[in-house]
Order: sequence, then structure tokens, then C-alpha cells
Amino acid sequence: MAKLKPRYDGMVVGAGIAGMQASLDLAGQGFEVLLVEREPSIGGVMVGLNKVFPTLDCSSCICTPRMAEVAHHERIDLLTYTELQQVRQAESGFHVRLLKKPRYVIEEECIGCGLCERACIPLVPHEHDHGLGARKAIYIPHGNAIPQVAVLDPEHCVFDGNCAKVCPKDCIDFTQLPQEIEVEVGTVIVASGLHLTPMTAKKEYGGGKYVNVMSPLAMERVQSSNGPYGHILRPSDGKLPSSIAYVQCAGSRDKSIGVPYCSRVCCMYALKQAIMVKHERHETQVTIYHMDIRAFGKGYEQFYRRALAEGVRVVKAKVAKISEEPNHDLTLRVELIDEGGRVAEIRHDLVVLSQGLIPGWTAGEVLAAGADEDGFFKIPQVTTRPVNSTADGIFIAGVASGPKDIPDAIVEAGAAAMEAAMYLDQTRAERVGA
Amino acid sequence: MSETTRSWREDLKVFRERMGGLTEENRAAGKDQRETLKAITEALRAGPRTVPEIAGVTRLPAQKVMWYVMAMKRYGSLAEVGRAGDYLRYGLKEAEP
Repeated sequence: MAKLKPRYDGMVVGAGIAGMQASLDLAGQGFEVLLVEREPSIGGVMVGLNKVFPTLDCSSCICTPRMAEVAHHERIDLLTYTELQQVRQAESGFHVRLLKKPRYVIEEECIGCGLCERACIPLVPHEHDHGLGARKAIYIPHGNAIPQVAVLDPEHCVFDGNCAKVCPKDCIDFTQLPQEIEVEVGTVIVASGLHLTPMTAKKEYGGGKYVNVMSPLAMERVQSSNGPYGHILRPSDGKLPSSIAYVQCAGSRDKSIGVPYCSRVCCMYALKQAIMVKHERHETQVTIYHMDIRAFGKGYEQFYRRALAEGVRVVKAKVAKISEEPNHDLTLRVELIDEGGRVAEIRHDLVVLSQGLIPGWTAGEVLAAGADEDGFFKIPQVTTRPVNSTADGIFIAGVASGPKDIPDAIVEAGAAAMEAAMYLDQTRAERVGA
Repeated sequence: MSETTRSWREDLKVFRERMGGLTEENRAAGKDQRETLKAITEALRAGPRTVPEIAGVTRLPAQKVMWYVMAMKRYGSLAEVGRAGDYLRYGLKEAEP
């Protein structure tokens, strides 16, 4: 853990792509920044993605240089595996309480060699691979993790001491306890990211029940060369699927599950994944069942056309129900809109539910910035001050204020850093003038 | 913690007590893991097989075999060895000297 200063100009909450960008942009203007991340590694959702749309660039190739820049920046201190407890208005900014969770590994001494992980016995479903792959009870979060430091999950530990026996740096520390940290900060940028709507939100689709009904983030890992399989295989039996279906709006634009809004990225990530399936195994049929395709961003319409040209089938249809066959194939009961509402039953090897985006964190009483009805942070003047929260000195970046794609999240992060810098200058001038 | 006097064995005892010891659930999971890995390893001694083939030999559910095969691949005890129709074949890796 970095040696912390008693006061920072700004604190950024969340070290996904928006939080990292906001930190770099604020630190780049000469301000001292504390970046707080609840997970053991920075990088957020983006570091687990395979490719980005519409360029099909490797996601981690874009994300990891920023992660390294954040970690090595002289004006950014990084706190991982740390939860925000309380942000209170103070005389000159905010008083912040944080809770650093124990890794049971001495961060400054661990060299990320992975010997502890190899020696550890229990195999546990790996969160980074959405349960499709395995990790050990002590593990390096993933290959691109920053910091490259092991973390021990005590829930699955069998207390055999194998990790400590093999550690060449003697840095396993079973005595660690949660650590309370208090700092003063001048301003706060919240970039708390996203979760997906639950797989079980629409019971009729069998998410969380049928093994071959997958989440899109799990599919990102399956498509990644460093993912759990190394190939696109289905989880039930390792078959190279010959037919994959995407069900759009499976967690958005649906009042019945409390998500009436469009999540904005699902059409594009489904098209991207479909293209990637075609690139790995062209003979695999990919069908996207949708209400309408929303390709709103720069180059997105062309990307949609590209998917069609590469053989992706895009079918306007409502999926009423998914049922599982004895061999774990899936039968979709669909109403084909362009065929006069004809109802058909179509079988696929694998189904991806295009889940919607919901807030990654709800502030509640932790800080004063208020939330909208949809749970995302409220932006009172959304057209003219799109990163300003309901509280003075607290700014919002990325999906914390509503669904958006990576380019928009990065733009907002820059805007939040600029607003935060202006706020710091203004409050400093007021203090000097007072 | 003193770096020179720290004994991880003593620390581990305290840690184990603080965490409530080894749970029945973890004990059972450990036994199941040992048996499953042994069964898959035995099934592959005859040569590379697909996940459904391993499931057939071991009488384990294919989904469970799939997860363990991927875990074994990740930790280096088996590797992909070609294809059989719509499935990949997996074989044991030679133990490193």
C-alpha cells in the first residue's frame, strides 16, 4: 500500500476506465489524487473485455497502459481492495473514511510470482471469468492485474499453510485485519461503474438455471484468448457451438424488471461478439433477436453493416421463452415480427442474454450526492453540466450517472476532472480571499 | 508484526481460529475435488479424450468435467490435443522434471 498523505486535492472513487482517466486528467493538471478501488485490481469491467467496438481493438491493450500509467503516476496514490465508508463535508473539502480489506499478503513485498497460487489446493470459481474458470483460494486476480499482488480468500482457505511454505518473499501475513483509513480531500469524483441486470431477472429466459444461457460479460471472457477456455466453447460439455443466439433487451427497456431505459451498449456489444464468433469459426451461425438495433455512435452504423456482411443474422423478433433440451441445447419460442408475427421454435447450442446496465454502486448515506429514480447518480443540469452531482464539489463520471459506452465514459471523465480542477481553484481562491 | 520474529505457523493457527476453522462445506468440497481430479486423470491415462468422452468414462456430469478440465488446463496438468468433430480433445501433460 502506498504511504498515504493526510490530504489530497481530489479523491476518485472507482478505478475502471472512467476513474483511471479522471485521475490521470486531474493529476495531469498538477493536483494530488487518491484513487480508491474496491476490487483487488484496477481496470474495472474494461480489463475483462475481449475487444472494443467499433474498432475491434484489443480491450486490455487499451486498458492496461492506462492502468500502468495510473499505478506509476507521481501524483496518484492508489488504494485497492478498499471500500468507501463515509464522505462528510469538512471545513475545506471533505473528510473521508475508508476501509482497506485484508489481502493476507504484504503488498509491498509480494512480487506476483504466483507460487502461492500453484501450491494452494482448493479450486474455486473465478469471479474474473464469471465462474467459468477456476482460481485458487489464494490467487493473483488475473494476468493483467495491477497491482500484481496475491489475495487470499479466507472463505475457501483450508488452512494448510501451503502458500506460506512456498512464498519466496515470506509475505503471507495471516495477521492482517481490516484497516480504517481517514484522509481529507478537496473534491470527489465518483466513477463507480456498472453491474449488469441479474441473469435471473427474466425467469422465462432461464438465466442462472440453464447452463448454456450466458451473460455477455461471461461471453467476453469465453472469447478472450486469456479466458477460461481459450476458444468459444459451451459450458455444458465443451462443444464448439454451431449456432449461437443473442436475445436483445433481456434486461433493458422492460418496466416489469424495473429497467425501463435503454442500456445503450447492448446492441453494439452483441454485434461485436457476433463478429468475433464469425472470426473464430465462420461456419457458426449467429442470430441476434432484437426489437430494433440502436447504432447511435460514431462508426456504429457502419459496424452494424459490417456484421451483416460477415454473415451475422439480425432478426426482428420477440423472444417469449427459452427452454432447455435434455442435451442442454436451447429452444427459443419467438414471435417473428417481419413475418407477420409468426411464432416459431428455434434451437440453438448457446444463448447470450443481452443484459442491461444498472449502477455498480449505490451511495446511500455514504456521500451527499443524490440518486435518480433509476438508481444512477442524479445530474440536475444534465444538458449544461453533465458531470455535476446534486452536491457541491462531487462530480460523476462514466456509467455512475447512466449507461454509456467507453468513448463517452472517457469524455465524461475528462470533463469531471476539469470541473473538479475548477472547483479546487475556486474554493482555494475563496479561502485565500476570506 | 515483527519481520524477524514472525512465525507464520503460529499466525496460521490464530487465523484459522478467527475464521472459524475448516467448514464442513470446504471439507466436503475438498474431498469431491480430489475424487474428481483423480477420476479425470485416470480417464485420460488411456489417451486424449473430449469432455463428453471423459464424462462417459467417469460417469460424472459433463458440465462438471468441463469445469475441472478447464481448471486442469489453467494450472498446467493437461493440454488440448487436437479435435474430434465439434469437440476438442484433452490429454495429460508430461510432469515437468
